[in-house]
Amino acid sequence: MKCYLCALEKTNTDAVAICIVCGMGVCMNHLMREEVEVWEGGYPFPAKKLKRKLPRILCRPCYSVYHEG
Amino acid sequence: MSLTKRSLAELVGTFLLVYFGAGSAAITLMISQGANPPNPFNIGIGALGGLGDWFAIGMAFAIAITASIYALGRISGAHLNPAVTIALWATKRFPTGDVGPYIGSQLIGAALASFLFAASVGMDAVKIGGLGATAPFPGVSFGQAILAEAIGTFLLMLTIMGVAVDERAPPGFAGLIIGLTVGGIITTTGNIAGASLNPARTFGPYLGDYILDGNNLWHFFPIYIVGPIAGALVAAFVYDYLSKD
Repeated sequence: MKCYLCALEKTNTDAVAICIVCGMGVCMNHLMREEVEVWEGGYPFPAKKLKRKLPRILCRPCYSVYHEG
Repeated sequence: MSLTKRSLAELVGTFLLVYFGAGSAAITLMISQGANPPNPFNIGIGALGGLGDWFAIGMAFAIAITASIYALGRISGAHLNPAVTIALWATKRFPTGDVGPYIGSQLIGAALASFLFAASVGMDAVKIGGLGATAPFPGVSFGQAILAEAIGTFLLMLTIMGVAVDERAPPGFAGLIIGLTVGGIITTTGNIAGASLNPARTFGPYLGDYILDGNNLWHFFPIYIVGPIAGALVAAFVYDYLSKD
């Protein structure tokens, strides 16, 4: 799979990841990776934040929409 | 989340339960003052709308409990009730070291609510409304009152086990269902012993009444310790037994 965003720029780059939202293939330059806190439990017990975070990879367009909202 | 923050959340939640819930009982008595109750079993709650008076009080509790569970449930677990805390501890779901701070916070929150309710309404809330304190109704014995409190709390705890503790329960409904369950129990059994279902809910008004020169009802307090705790314990163990494969 090729990077969709590179293809739009008329370059040919292999994708290294897939955006979890739109499914777009993205190269290292066009992916956004962040780690999301994960909480477990709740009423009638206090919710607990898990030690490890959940990695998420998004393409740049989805990342910008996600953080705008 | 630190134990201090969780305990503070319990204090706030129990404060809301007693201020709005017990407060609604006090207001009902104040509104009905001067009305002519049809029989000695009617102390004023019911003089205006029969069981509808109890329904209104039950809904006040339901709304306060539902709001507290959704607002604070993720922070402390929103037990708001020493009987619930003890039942979760007894079934090994809640750490021993947290039990004391939780119950202490629930009692402080309930006491604060009663004093601030008196400050909000005035001394009529104490003299006429009794700050919404619970007591056995005329003709109801000590034992009958304990039995009614135990059965009411049994239903409450069984519901908590089924809709919240059990991992198979559908998510998101617990706060609403548990609030409505308390409202229903109060509507149907309120006129037996007040349907406290909660030692902290009775402790606050008792302390407020005692210090603010209202009625001294402490001799009834064992009813609201023994009944709710026994009912909650039986419900938790029965549910665990029934739900095991």
